[in-house]
Amino acid sequence: MVQLLSTEGTLQTDDTAAEYLPYIEALSDDVLRQFYRDMVITRRFDLEATNLQRQGQLALWPPSHGQEAAQVGSARAARAQDHLFPSYREHAIALIRGVDIVDIVRLMRGVTNGGWDPAECGNFHLYTLVLGSQALHATGYAMGITLDGETGTGDLETDSAVMAYFGDGATSQGDVSEALVFAASFNAPEVFFLQNNQWAISVPVRVQSRTPLYLRAGGFGMPGVQIDGNDVLASYAVTRKNLDEARSGQGPRLIEALTYRIGAHTTSDDPTKYRLDAETASWVAKDPITRYVSYLRGRGEGDDFFAASATEAEDFSADLRRRTLELVAPSTDLIFDNVYSEPHPVMDVQKKWLADYEASLGGTA
Amino acid sequence: MTEELPLAKALNAGLRKALADDPKVLLMGEDIGPLGGVFRVTEGLQAEFGERRVFDTPLAESGIIGTAIGLAFRGYRPVCEIQFDGFIFPGFDQITSQLAKMTSRHEGRVIMPVVVRVPYGGHIGAVEHHQESPEAYFAHTPGLRVVSPSTPNDAYWMIQEAIASDDPVMFFEPKSRYWSKGPVNFSASPSPLHASRVVRTGTEVTLVGHGAMVTVLMQAAELAQNEGTSIEVIDLRSLSPIDYAPIIASVQKTGRLVVASEAPGSVSISAEIAATVTETAFYSLEAPVLRVSSFDTPFPPAKLETVFLPDADRILEAVDRALAY
Amino acid sequence: MPTASSRPSTALSPTSFCTNCTRKGIIVTSSEFTLPDVGEGLTEAEIVAWKVKPGDEVTINQVLVEIETAKSLVELPSPFAGTVTAILVAEGQTVDVGTPIISVSSGVDDAAPALGGTEIVAETVDSASLQSSDTGSAVLVGYGIKGHVASRRSRAATGKAAAASTSPTHIASGIAASAPEVAPRPSSVPAASASPVIAKPPIRKLAKDLAVNLSEVTPTGLAGEITREDVVRQASQGTLFRNIETPAWGSDREERIPVKGVRKAIATAMVSSAFSAPHVSLFVDVDATRTMEFVRRLKDSTDFAGVKVSPLLIVAKAMIWAVRRNPTVNAQWTDTEIIVKHYVNFGIAAATPRGLIVPNIKEAQELSLHQLASAIGQLTITARDGKTSPAEQAGGTITVTNIGVFGMDTGTPILNPGEVAILALGTIRQKPWVVDGEVRARFVTTLGASFDHRVVDGDVASRFLADVASIIEEPALLLD
Repeated sequence: MVQLLSTEGTLQTDDTAAEYLPYIEALSDDVLRQFYRDMVITRRFDLEATNLQRQGQLALWPPSHGQEAAQVGSARAARAQDHLFPSYREHAIALIRGVDIVDIVRLMRGVTNGGWDPAECGNFHLYTLVLGSQALHATGYAMGITLDGETGTGDLETDSAVMAYFGDGATSQGDVSEALVFAASFNAPEVFFLQNNQWAISVPVRVQSRTPLYLRAGGFGMPGVQIDGNDVLASYAVTRKNLDEARSGQGPRLIEALTYRIGAHTTSDDPTKYRLDAETASWVAKDPITRYVSYLRGRGEGDDFFAASATEAEDFSADLRRRTLELVAPSTDLIFDNVYSEPHPVMDVQKKWLADYEASLGGTA
Repeated sequence: MTEELPLAKALNAGLRKALADDPKVLLMGEDIGPLGGVFRVTEGLQAEFGERRVFDTPLAESGIIGTAIGLAFRGYRPVCEIQFDGFIFPGFDQITSQLAKMTSRHEGRVIMPVVVRVPYGGHIGAVEHHQESPEAYFAHTPGLRVVSPSTPNDAYWMIQEAIASDDPVMFFEPKSRYWSKGPVNFSASPSPLHASRVVRTGTEVTLVGHGAMVTVLMQAAELAQNEGTSIEVIDLRSLSPIDYAPIIASVQKTGRLVVASEAPGSVSISAEIAATVTETAFYSLEAPVLRVSSFDTPFPPAKLETVFLPDADRILEAVDRALAY
Repeated sequence: MPTASSRPSTALSPTSFCTNCTRKGIIVTSSEFTLPDVGEGLTEAEIVAWKVKPGDEVTINQVLVEIETAKSLVELPSPFAGTVTAILVAEGQTVDVGTPIISVSSGVDDAAPALGGTEIVAETVDSASLQSSDTGSAVLVGYGIKGHVASRRSRAATGKAAAASTSPTHIASGIAASAPEVAPRPSSVPAASASPVIAKPPIRKLAKDLAVNLSEVTPTGLAGEITREDVVRQASQGTLFRNIETPAWGSDREERIPVKGVRKAIATAMVSSAFSAPHVSLFVDVDATRTMEFVRRLKDSTDFAGVKVSPLLIVAKAMIWAVRRNPTVNAQWTDTEIIVKHYVNFGIAAATPRGLIVPNIKEAQELSLHQLASAIGQLTITARDGKTSPAEQAGGTITVTNIGVFGMDTGTPILNPGEVAILALGTIRQKPWVVDGEVRARFVTTLGASFDHRVVDGDVASRFLADVASIIEEPALLLD
């Protein structure tokens, strides 16, 4: 397991870490601070969204609490031209790539089945609620990049790569295996980022796999590496390296980020029914933000910075709350529009029928 | 310019034209490259257009459809081949949960110009899973378009029109007709992609079907003619959406409708047509709409397929019942 | 302001609403937090432990209460900032999703939730819950499954009813416009449609059973459809033995039919009748609309369900009644005496494949309307089957011949030998008639009758025919 930052927040010095440290040394102080702000804002709005659900404003919310480092590090490692294919818990990545957090809320509230335009949000694709399906879409996209010749030219600034995100549960889905097969066979410029948060709702990862998940990569003919997913520096460095290798024509690879889903699967779930508090507590002790605070303090960051970040997170969340309460219901046109790209007689007929039917009912002025 | 071609060759010509006309068109599937497909529909195309444009995939239907979706995101127009009708089901989730819903989920910001070609139907004496008629599952899925040509001419034109569509199209090819020859007019498309068509005029009973069934309907009509009964035959061509206008006009003339298909009858496309025509042309009906279908059982061993699948006699039995009202 | 939506207020609404507040939210007096569905389809929860009490200051997201749902123990964070004014549900109580559980008075600050948002959420929930309610099966995530809709949404009286009367089929509107069956119901009776014939399957079957050609029937249904009555009316007037095609002459120059059997008998009877009794014929046109209505009501009556009811039945009853008032028309001439019969053996001329026969119903004066109908029906069937016996043809006292079934207006019938009166019933069809000074379409028929002038003079003949006509005009006179 690759770890650059210990649980206490000190940089590791072993050989494995040494291989990746140059990626960290290349980062400015501002970037390192940005990692913190990303994580803190994410955790704060994640809590706010959970509260909003408990107040009846959202149908459900899948919390990302505990997985901030895995997501922030890998997201910051991606380049602007890269395409990212998430599952449904990668809120930090969404934010980093430019998705308006309210658009994720709209999805969880039942106002939209999508929420944003990937082309305007750093190529961060829509959430996919069928587990693992996005792995194939990502692979197909990567195949397309290869066909276009926009990868493997040797220019890291312009060559494209694709990152597919999924969890430990999804690795059991056939689509994920098929994606790995296709990626290997077509030498796709793709990184498979596996957030192993130890649980698929109530089923522990040992039921998904009898071997560490990163070892599967070798079975499919590609490199695999396991990292401490709660270490934002490792997450950044390892992802950066793998993405650049992928975009250099070296083919697909897999990163397994060991992390923990501190919260429930979604707000409908009750982890107390299947998990021990002691286990959760042990992972809280390895919290990604706590160790990073130690790291930054060690680098001289003072209370002012942390207080400002906390305020920023509070303001961000208050704004989320305000804008969530302002959301309006979608028009019924949403049912019919855009089901097809080209005109379709059934859509026209049924849309008109609904309009006539609604008009025929007694109702409000 | 017209040429007599088998349906498989007409498809080949249509695919060739599509590949030549648009560099974004790709063909992908199992064994479609050097082998040219198990039915030779893609014969010679990889040699002509190269491995970038026409390529073999790993043996994974879900993978084929899923990566095609990714390629569509990237701006390509993938034409997937599913080797046999019975093997479409591993890809069913990607087709129904993803391909069909992607444009709607993106609120119109992306198009999914993916064609899924599926050889389907019986009458080839094959083993299990190689003679299915699963069109209804896809006609029942909003977001997809479903078509099936019955002649080489339709095959040549409809495959190109399906590829040109910005929507996902399930393209069902009647494999028992792959080697039947017919004239292909290279100059002009016969009809819009989703138009149904009267292929034989008559006055007493209307027969409706698609794909390989159209040939059987024509046989039945010919036999009925000898008995003095005038039958009108309509080729559906499109299963979703269905072009009802010619069917309604025909029923207003004949008052009797029989719908035939190879698929089992319960909860089928024929049932949908019966319900819609009954509702729309109620006062024109002299008899209830009758369906001629295969039985509600799995496709039996091939030695029983001629009993299982509707033939001209079964169709005429229904015609007689309709006329008895 | 609380939402002005007409949709039924939902017990499912997880929103809060403000009372007595202005749009700008300057002063908000009280907000209620209603129990939300916290777990994708939960319907209720138990209040386990309150963490605040009235008078406490609370901030947004501060934990207010612990609740227990079917799935888990959940803490609810406050949506409001302000002072707790009332705890609305006690610990230990289980309440439905949507029940107000606590009220908090909010201050001026922007912590107060925007009204527009909450109202709209209510609207969303309403429409969602309306769809999911009574079925119990469609669970929309987050909004619970408990139905609450107590009443059906009202329908507008007119206007859009036409469009809403069809189901959302796949048919493009282009087709709907051309098919008559999809047109909205017109308010007036339409003229007979050229084509196609509009008739529902049961009517088509009835027409087939009665051998009625639907294309010849005048429809009177509101939407232009042929009704059951239309078919029956046509059947009672239509011919039973109409030529279907024009037969070819064949190659022979002449066809020679031997005079024998029934043909010879008919000829003999006609000659004896026509050239012994001096025939006089009278005619009267009569408005038969009320008879047609009466026939229709009898047909709809369960009492007459088993028998064929037609205008001929009423004419028969009328003739029997008229005979009582004019007995000499029900008589027989012999050279020495006129035998006036005090019974009626009612004859009905029947065209059969073998020729004309006149079976009669014995003692018809004793029969009720129902029995008479039954007897006529039986007589007709027997005649059609060619099984009428000589006894059934003998002893008739008066006869009716129904030439209306052939579409004839009237005629000059020849007396059945041994009788002195015969009435010809013509076709009953709609014609212009003057009613209350206005020209109206009424069912009109011509009654024609021939009499033996040796027995019946003009005045008796006229009175008899007028009596029959008066019944046809007003069947209620039979109650006499």
